[in-house]
Amino acid sequence: MIPFQFITAFLLIFMGIYAFLYKRNLIKLILALNIIDSGIHLLLISLGYRLENGVLPTAPIYTGYETLKGTPMVGPIPQALVLTSIVIGVCVLALAMALTINAYRHYGSLDINKLRRLRG
Amino acid sequence: MNALPFLIIIPLFGAFSMPIVKLIGEKLRDIWAVIISAATLGVAVDVFYTIWKTNQIVVYTLGATTPLGKGVGFPIRIVWEVDLLGALIAVTIAFVSLLAIVYSLEYMKHDTGLDKYYTLILILELGMLGIVITGDIFNFYVFLEIMSIASYALVAFRNDTWEGIEAGIKYMFVGSLASSFILLGIALLYGQYGTLTMAYLSQYITREPTLISKVALAFILGGLLFKSGAVPVHMWLADAHPAAPSSISAMLSGLVIKAGGVYAIARILFSIYSISLNIKAIGWIVIFFACLTLIVGNAMAVVQTDMKRLFAFSSVGQIGYILLGIGIGIAAYGTKVGDIALAGAIYHTVNHAIMKALLFLVAGAVLHEVGTKNLNELSGLAKRMPLTSFAFLVGAAAIIGLPPLNGFASKWLIYESSALYNPFLAAIAILGTAFCTAAYIRVLFTFFGKESEKVKAAKDPGKAMVIPMILLIIAIILMGLLPWQINDSIMLPTAKMLEESGKYVLAVLGG
Repeated sequence: MIPFQFITAFLLIFMGIYAFLYKRNLIKLILALNIIDSGIHLLLISLGYRLENGVLPTAPIYTGYETLKGTPMVGPIPQALVLTSIVIGVCVLALAMALTINAYRHYGSLDINKLRRLRG
Repeated sequence: MNALPFLIIIPLFGAFSMPIVKLIGEKLRDIWAVIISAATLGVAVDVFYTIWKTNQIVVYTLGATTPLGKGVGFPIRIVWEVDLLGALIAVTIAFVSLLAIVYSLEYMKHDTGLDKYYTLILILELGMLGIVITGDIFNFYVFLEIMSIASYALVAFRNDTWEGIEAGIKYMFVGSLASSFILLGIALLYGQYGTLTMAYLSQYITREPTLISKVALAFILGGLLFKSGAVPVHMWLADAHPAAPSSISAMLSGLVIKAGGVYAIARILFSIYSISLNIKAIGWIVIFFACLTLIVGNAMAVVQTDMKRLFAFSSVGQIGYILLGIGIGIAAYGTKVGDIALAGAIYHTVNHAIMKALLFLVAGAVLHEVGTKNLNELSGLAKRMPLTSFAFLVGAAAIIGLPPLNGFASKWLIYESSALYNPFLAAIAILGTAFCTAAYIRVLFTFFGKESEKVKAAKDPGKAMVIPMILLIIAIILMGLLPWQINDSIMLPTAKMLEESGKYVLAVLGG
């Protein structure tokens, strides 16, 4: 059986892609990108918690695991990955917002269909 | 002493010390940017020379001497792993970036906020260098994003024009979606195999290629094709590359779509997946996109009236040739034809970086002196700007593939291998070149035609813009004079080294 958090993660990703394809407002598009990212983060973070044959698997970084048997523990690597990924996401978000403000200044609109002057 | 980490340390230090250096003086800021990029080129050449001479893969572990964990037999640390292909692309990146920075000393003189510009350009260089030296797939993603964010910002650098902003927004949305797909693929790979080191991942995938690993490959390949501008998703490239300042266009067209696109595709396909896949199927998928890219990119270039847009579409077409070489290389894996195709693809990657950088620098010089890039208004430039026109002549002849120049050798290798593999593919490749020739002949007629009013006052640009162009011309002619020697001594060993994924694994895990 597929764990419910994986299903939620993929639902989030597909919601984001749907919004990305069918919305026209620039700010909604930025939100769509963030929803896709959130879905991937949820997928990654839930990969850290899994049972193999009824026990928690040893995370590579934690070789002294045997002494802590019975204590619930999750893999540390996905958390580090998600933290990095969130930081990257914030950078993209900030840049996207800055560009959106500039686009509004030049075009007087947030409609992506109005940004059609480049042709050739 | 391993020089490899300085490939990242020097540009990183240079980038973030730029605002402080700028406080001392504007002159010093310019010199600082040139010194930093020249030092990076020195390190890149040193790394390449070491690897080429010893024919060994260099592995560098961050924070330890060995990538393996204490008492366990698998790698737990982040590794950097450079083979000949990575080192070769790194040298190209450092060389073109240095010339682009020297060029922008004069080209960007009238813009404000130049400390930020140089910071961003060094970060862009750093991101690309990181991509080609990393041996850890999440580290690869981080460097890819560093490169992408810097290039979004640089495309929209002139934020007082609507052109840059519109192109920047389009580039950013498409690029971020592609990055998300790549991250999803990496997450799936991690979930399946529990490791991020490319070499260890390769061992796992060869042992048990599951469905999930193939789905992950589809996501990663899709994202990377987005980033390299392959045809169904090439529209952002034709907007973003012309709208950027010309020195940035040279880096975007010459380097970014190679390092973040075709290099990464080759690395993922050959080093991680290699023999665990149905190589015929994957090869033909790449060949299909390559043929589409080849025809559409070159054909669209013919009908453009904007010079930089024409060059951008031509870039799409040339990416098609490189993808065709990689596709045949994987479809005919292990045979002589595959070797030739892969060597041709690698050779063309380097050649195209140099040629397209030269062409965009020429376009920048014209734009700087005349103030327009519309081909209908530029007729008769050759009399007023003889040196620029000569540079264009050399660049155009090289990109079409005329014999004494470097484009001939690489294109010949690709034609030869595609004719041996499947004659139909060679016909498509030649058809692409016909379109390419038509597009460049048109620009050539404009340059040497009757003089128009607009170009009366034009003259060749100053020293800082001319020297990079001359250096690129010299590189093109030198590489054109010794094509087969370069092919036998550099490109074929590079292709062989890329194909031997077993060596790539052993370099990290130990024998």
